[in-house]
Amino acid sequence: MEIVVAIVQALLLVAAAPLMSGIARKIRAKMHSRQGASVFQDYYDLAKLWKRTEVRAGTAGLVTRIMPPLFLATFVVIAAGLPLITRACPVPLLGDVITVLYLMALPRFVFSLASIDSGASYTSIGGIRELIVGVLVEPALMLVLVVMALACGSTNVGTMATSVATFTATPPVAVVVAGVAFAIACYMEMGKVPFDMAEAEQEIQEGPLAELSGPSLAMLKLGMSVKQAVVAGLFIALFLPVGAAASMAPLDLIVGFVALIVKMLVVFLVVSVIENAVIRVRYKYLGRYTWFAVGIAALSFVFLIIGI
Amino acid sequence: MIRKEKKALRMGETHVEAVRSTFPGAVLDATWQAEDQVTITVPADMLPDVVEFLYYGRDGWLPNMVGNDERSLNGHYALYYLLSMEGADPSFVAVRAEIDPVTREFPSVTPRVPACVWSEREVRDMFGLVPVGLPDERRLVLPDDWPNDLYPLRKDSMDYRKRPAPVSDMENYSFLYEGDAEETTQVPMGPLHITSDEPGHFRLFVEGEEIVDADYRLFYVHRGMEKVAESRLNYDAVTFLADRICGICGNAHSVAYAEAVENAQGIEVPIRAQYIRTILLEVERLHSHLLNLGLVCHYCGFDTGFQHFFRVRERAMDLAEMLVGARKTYGLNLIGGVRRDILESQKLSTIKFVQELRNDVEALVDMLVSTANFESRTAGIGRLDPKIARDFSPVGPCVRGSGFARDVRFNHPFDAYKHLEGLGVRYHDGCDVQSRTLVRVEEFMDSLTMIEQLLDSAPAGPILTEDWTYTPHKFAMGFTEAPRGEDMHWAMVGDNQKCYRWRAKAATYSNWPILRYMFRGNTVADAAIIVGSMDPCYSCTDRVTVVDVNKHTETVLTKSQLESYCRRRTYSPLQGRGDA
Repeated sequence: MEIVVAIVQALLLVAAAPLMSGIARKIRAKMHSRQGASVFQDYYDLAKLWKRTEVRAGTAGLVTRIMPPLFLATFVVIAAGLPLITRACPVPLLGDVITVLYLMALPRFVFSLASIDSGASYTSIGGIRELIVGVLVEPALMLVLVVMALACGSTNVGTMATSVATFTATPPVAVVVAGVAFAIACYMEMGKVPFDMAEAEQEIQEGPLAELSGPSLAMLKLGMSVKQAVVAGLFIALFLPVGAAASMAPLDLIVGFVALIVKMLVVFLVVSVIENAVIRVRYKYLGRYTWFAVGIAALSFVFLIIGI
Repeated sequence: MIRKEKKALRMGETHVEAVRSTFPGAVLDATWQAEDQVTITVPADMLPDVVEFLYYGRDGWLPNMVGNDERSLNGHYALYYLLSMEGADPSFVAVRAEIDPVTREFPSVTPRVPACVWSEREVRDMFGLVPVGLPDERRLVLPDDWPNDLYPLRKDSMDYRKRPAPVSDMENYSFLYEGDAEETTQVPMGPLHITSDEPGHFRLFVEGEEIVDADYRLFYVHRGMEKVAESRLNYDAVTFLADRICGICGNAHSVAYAEAVENAQGIEVPIRAQYIRTILLEVERLHSHLLNLGLVCHYCGFDTGFQHFFRVRERAMDLAEMLVGARKTYGLNLIGGVRRDILESQKLSTIKFVQELRNDVEALVDMLVSTANFESRTAGIGRLDPKIARDFSPVGPCVRGSGFARDVRFNHPFDAYKHLEGLGVRYHDGCDVQSRTLVRVEEFMDSLTMIEQLLDSAPAGPILTEDWTYTPHKFAMGFTEAPRGEDMHWAMVGDNQKCYRWRAKAATYSNWPILRYMFRGNTVADAAIIVGSMDPCYSCTDRVTVVDVNKHTETVLTKSQLESYCRRRTYSPLQGRGDA
């Protein structure tokens, strides 16, 4: 049963990710006072890209070719392991926070490598930016997870989710502050404005995406939507386990599934509103914002030590 | 005693006298084309001295330089360095020099007055005149595949309907690097770039993300309007062609051309027509400034602001439509007046529009300046040093953002600007993108006030005069303050009811040369907003270069390859290159 849940939730996430980004586009359009494209537009885009010829830069090699499938596949694997519908991890092996976090580092690494591989100047800049964002955001994510691991007594996401859901994670203030830090860090990790450094359209022409086309671009676009859903999912799993199924009973699973959809929609709604109300951070000053997140994470660590 | 003598002087005469006493014998001739416009003829070898003296010594600024093929009139080519004197005795002084038609050489003024650089490069392209000592000898206007010995604006050049066969299939324009750092990466921006709707090819020389230097080329589609006007249109139809110079500030060009001819011919434009022209110039400023404010948001990655400024801008376009019948303020000017009057009902609804725009824009601007990161994205970015500004004579919000109060509307009041009350030049001295943006915001609000004032005080009367006689070969300048800066036209009519020479200078022409200095020290991320803060105007491209500077590979798609791909839409010339 667990393995079925894992596969189903991973597939559902992939299937629904374009819908999520489509909804985000619709919200953006409404905030722009535009009509906006249909929420299914991202599916149409993917279908169209899939039919297109692939064009690669003359200098691009193997890395550029394997990056899009690898990017997508990694996030699908992470999605399978997260406790999204259930409280416990469907695949315990994949549920360790260290595994999750460093699985997320893999596509980032290949993504940057591929952008340098293509040899074009804007893509290279984008790749370097992507790495810097990673380096700056990771301390905050890691610190929060350490706090959670100490508070819940396990590095397994499922165990953490269960103890948060049953209010057994102590000390509570530390957990709440950690949640705030994690929310900020996740927002940065999602690569939305004002932190869309690597793809900043007006600055570096969508950076690494500029060198991809056809099916590769489709895969990467889908991969990025899935990434956003997975990062949102990670936050939901850890800090909003409300309604997640406590057991494998069908009714619990259905409730968990519905709760997941509602939570996802709320998270994406909040994210979209923020995204459209701010100006992109100057790349130079990104560090200030990430230090802010690290600071809150450190605060939660302090609260954990003094036990409130 | 002195006061009495001053009164007897004509406008600009103090400058002529100053040149006379500083360079004895330099002034061969001085004639007034209009009340405030004087042309002095000097020997060609005195050009650098005289222009430098007027520019730096007497508060002159250089809007433009005009080359003219006057061989059929007096056997020479002529150059007119137009100077706008903005200190004491405000007026326009044109320094004219005749150039020998055989050697075609003249001493370049650029080493003394950098503001001449583009005009001198252009006159070299268009007439084959040789500025001796010009530091930058690359082509400016002509494309790479243009023959070397064909100068389009000469009167004996080829028929304007023909095209010369291309002489080269490759781009051979070299970008110049002036920085100190030894190793830089070149980042090509353009000819097509996501933030520019028109093509311009920028080369950014960067270290990491920091721009060390930048070079650029433009004129990808030079439309040859000046030649068309000289050979195909009658002089009185050129106002409509001048409209089409710009998709944003067409009316400013049209008014500038009309007034150049009117000044030359001594035509008294009816007062009401002057008011109508002024009102429409301001209406044009409304939608142009809203466009730029929207784009500032867009370049910062704040598309919500962009969309809302454009939503409000649509109301400004509605206003234009109500007044002239088209969303753009096109097709309004005639030599001697305007074609449409503003009726009482239109006046009333204009006032309503103005009120609505004022409220909407105030709210939007409040929102913009309070949005997170606005300050950090614009303050201190794209610094235009006042000294550079003084050397290169930029115009519009660009120069006004660097602490100079240069605005033709107030420096040389024309039309109904003479009658405005309580308004002055808006300027800021932050020298950065933020200052230029704030100048635009304030000017927008001023424009609304101007429209209200002018509507209230416009006298009744005729809107067109036909009471004048056409005199060939008279010339003069016409000028307006377009939203992006001063437009300067110079026109000489011929003996065939056509323009003998028409030189149209758009505001952005004066601003491009300073861009490289504004880029320096900023990051690649700021490049778009710096270009945007200049609010440039450029045109369309005809081919694409794929350059990979890091790996020293370059592929040029030839025009024929691209054209065939455009028709067939399959077999991309780039396809499968990764598999090789």
